[in-house]
Amino acid sequence: MTRPNTPWNRFIAALSSLKFTLFCLALLMALTVICTLAQVPLGTHVAVDRTIRTFLIWWQPEGSSLKIPVFPGGGLVGLMLFSNLALAQFLRLEWSRRKLGLWIAHLGLALLFLGEFSTAFFQVESHMPIEIGQTRDYTEDYRQMELAVVDTTDAQHDRVTAVPERVIKDSSEISHPSLPFKLRIKHYYENSSLNMRQPSDPPSEATGGVGAEMIVRPEPLATGEDQQNAVAVLVEAVAEGGRSLGSLWVSNALGAPQGFIHEGRTFSLSLRPRRYYLPFSLTLKEFHHDKYAGTDIPRNFSSLVRLNDAGRGESRDALISMNNPLRYGGKAFYQASFGKNDTLSVFQVIQNPGWLIPYLSCILVSLGMMIHFGLKLAAAMGGSK
Amino acid sequence: MRRSYSILAASFVAGLLIAAGPLFSRGPKSEFDVRGFSRLPVLEGGRIKPLDSFARNSLLVIRGQQSLPVDKHRITASQWLLDSLFRPEAADTYKAFVIDDPDVLGLLGLERGKERRFAYWQVEPKREEIRSQAERARMVESGRQSRFQTSVANLDSGLGLYERIRNSVMISGSDDPAGEFETFAKLLPSALKAMHEPAKAAAADKKALKTLTEMLDRYRFLASVAVFKPLAPRAGEPADQWTSIGEGAMSPTGGAEAHPGIHAYTRMASAYKKSDPAAFNDALHAFEVWLSREKPEALSSARSEEVFNRAQPFVSGMTLYVMALLAVCLWWATRRAEAQSVSMGLLGAAVLVHTLGLCARVILQGRPPVTNLYSSAVFVGWVAALLGLLAERFHSKGFAAAGGALVGFCSLLVAHHLSSSGDTMEMMRAVLDSNFWLATHVVTITIGYGATFLAGALAIAWIVRLHFVKDQDAETSKALVGLTYGVIAFGLFLSFVGTVLGGIWADQSWGRFWGWDPKENGALLIVLWNAAILHARWIGVIRERGIMVMAVLGNVVTSLSWFGVNMLGVGLHSYGFMDKAFWWLVAFAAVHVLIVALALLPPRFWTTGKT
Repeated sequence: MTRPNTPWNRFIAALSSLKFTLFCLALLMALTVICTLAQVPLGTHVAVDRTIRTFLIWWQPEGSSLKIPVFPGGGLVGLMLFSNLALAQFLRLEWSRRKLGLWIAHLGLALLFLGEFSTAFFQVESHMPIEIGQTRDYTEDYRQMELAVVDTTDAQHDRVTAVPERVIKDSSEISHPSLPFKLRIKHYYENSSLNMRQPSDPPSEATGGVGAEMIVRPEPLATGEDQQNAVAVLVEAVAEGGRSLGSLWVSNALGAPQGFIHEGRTFSLSLRPRRYYLPFSLTLKEFHHDKYAGTDIPRNFSSLVRLNDAGRGESRDALISMNNPLRYGGKAFYQASFGKNDTLSVFQVIQNPGWLIPYLSCILVSLGMMIHFGLKLAAAMGGSK
Repeated sequence: MRRSYSILAASFVAGLLIAAGPLFSRGPKSEFDVRGFSRLPVLEGGRIKPLDSFARNSLLVIRGQQSLPVDKHRITASQWLLDSLFRPEAADTYKAFVIDDPDVLGLLGLERGKERRFAYWQVEPKREEIRSQAERARMVESGRQSRFQTSVANLDSGLGLYERIRNSVMISGSDDPAGEFETFAKLLPSALKAMHEPAKAAAADKKALKTLTEMLDRYRFLASVAVFKPLAPRAGEPADQWTSIGEGAMSPTGGAEAHPGIHAYTRMASAYKKSDPAAFNDALHAFEVWLSREKPEALSSARSEEVFNRAQPFVSGMTLYVMALLAVCLWWATRRAEAQSVSMGLLGAAVLVHTLGLCARVILQGRPPVTNLYSSAVFVGWVAALLGLLAERFHSKGFAAAGGALVGFCSLLVAHHLSSSGDTMEMMRAVLDSNFWLATHVVTITIGYGATFLAGALAIAWIVRLHFVKDQDAETSKALVGLTYGVIAFGLFLSFVGTVLGGIWADQSWGRFWGWDPKENGALLIVLWNAAILHARWIGVIRERGIMVMAVLGNVVTSLSWFGVNMLGVGLHSYGFMDKAFWWLVAFAAVHVLIVALALLPPRFWTTGKT
């Protein structure tokens, strides 16, 4: 290559070198090991968030607010490998029939990286628990909460205003045109313990609802796959002019609705899993839980649902079973769980616009390697004769 | 040339004959038709299997072996099952239970001497204590149990299984089960009369009702504890509704038109108790005739499986692999062409036996070859041995054959130890119940494991050669490196395709392509490792020695992702959990690190360098 020896070109040369590839591969291997080991104490979800779906792995010494980056995260390593791959491909690999296999394989590999980035940024994961006979037109995300303020004055129609947990976390006062009052966030605990207040406890800060009888304390974040945080928020509704309408403790661990009346309208407040509304609805008609004869080993789970989409004029039955999801409207519904004596079915709902990328990538890489190694093998066999 | 072919053919046939040996053994000497009994089909663990498989798996769970020494001779699992079912007073004295843990021995008040196997009667006085300790232990999470807790829980489940077996056909200790059942069937009509029309019932009917109520209690007990279900559904009943003896007796038709199986089993029980082989065999044969008329497919599949159990192809395969390996060593030592022919013949026989065993499992189970950890071990060895045999054609110096035989033997050995957890043809849990994905993802990724292990074995052979062979030519070394390189490329291809196919399966069943689950990470590590070897070779960061060192370490990476990640006990793939093997894994890794250290010694330590 005849390029001027400028720092920029030297940088590009280094970035596209195979030595850098090896360095990145080593980093990715180390990262994979770290991610695997981190899952033992943290559970898969948290460990992946902290090691893979991040640009840097942060370490926070016990009892300190200082965060120190200790290792490149999955995003950074992925970006490094991707740029190395792309640059090396175009700057170094010659266009020849001999290298055709390598071209195809590496193109497929690049797609795989794009697919994983697309998953990291665009995938939305939620759940839909549904009982036999029930109809649902929304899914829920148990990992994110929302503060739902529901105006239940009209018996026919509820007016819902939902505030995402992100907003609650970052702001101390929330106002919205649909609400005739402001919401003041007095406390926000990502995880908490809620207990009945004992006579020896300090008085509750809540002025109404079940929270007035309870004592709420912050807790460290829950780890492990099955454990859920009990998010607790002390919220005060403030009418215009600064008059307090009351303070309430809301939490996803509290089931009972709480609320107040303001200007003749009834509002109920609750903290619930974040909802995503669908432009269609599902009705669970049947749920089957098959077992192998004479045992409790599950053989199959399947849910028969009725899909109703008025907008597109579709109304049909669909069977969702293990290894056999329903794909509709850009979302895929998977049989994930069940409960309540086999009358409740839970679907995992995934929205990932890039879900087809890995399929394409798999085909390309396999094809490329088959061509490349096939040519090499043919050459080796021809040479040995 | 012709001579070497005839030696090859002769050793191949000799190898096959060695493997076929167990098929022709006449089995235990007994007046009772033990084999006929062991071939009866029963429903257990969700599938139809012969009593022989049930007996072997139960004894494996309880004792860790498929046979049992009694008074200086060994009895088979089926004989043990017969005694446990029908003559528990004898079976109670067999030393079937293994207790290793000194604390458990202390709990039982048993001497901590040489003996580590105990009979049921020795443990029985402390049965309640064991039960309550085990219940306590089970409250603790499985990863946090102490050694005492694990072993007391194991002992309790072994004892529990044995107790359930004792009460599967007749109430343990019952004197004449056949007579008892006949009385029951006879009393049923009058007792029913007493129940439905108590006013008209005669005193005799009332007495019958009382006796019957007691007997019903006993059958109800039988129905609740029975381990296996030997009564095939009769015409008109749902096809998978097999029932136990107790359930059969309590069914509405239990009295008048009792299932012929109840008569058969209770008569066999009484005859066995009274040491009356003729009556036992009569009852057995009558039931066989009934089964061959009503359920021919269940009977024949049970019989095929019994033959498979007896043949033990993977045990014979292990023997043949060792013999082939020894023959290769002999060839290297003597440099005689005869030894080469013998080694190839034996390896060919070993691979054929291994293949037949795999095919038999596929047919019996109706599933692709890899369904659990056990079968993956069997399959990995087969892939490596077959690849070794093929690679030997490219480069006939014995390295590929030796590598293949070594991996074949080791993986069968691993499989043998994995089988002690019970039925190796267990039913697939719902999410895994997909022959398509089992046949594509699981098989490809397992072939990838096999190839990586073969590359590792070849590299070990290269390193050993470096240190122990005096006059070596650069050509052999180069060819061996080329071979290893080719196997690694093959391994990279299959492990990549297998991993991505796994992702696609996950996308189909869980809705995410890649979740960074430990097992997925393990598979990714193998791919990355193999890719790193190839790229490093291309730019010359590593040369011959470097490739070999990395290939050896590839064994460690593969074994960690194959077994190691299961030990973490997290994630969706943790269905193959095992903890005993941890120290073996550590030892395996340590040996490989040692080999790497050997390879990394500077050239003045090599034997090669001195010549």
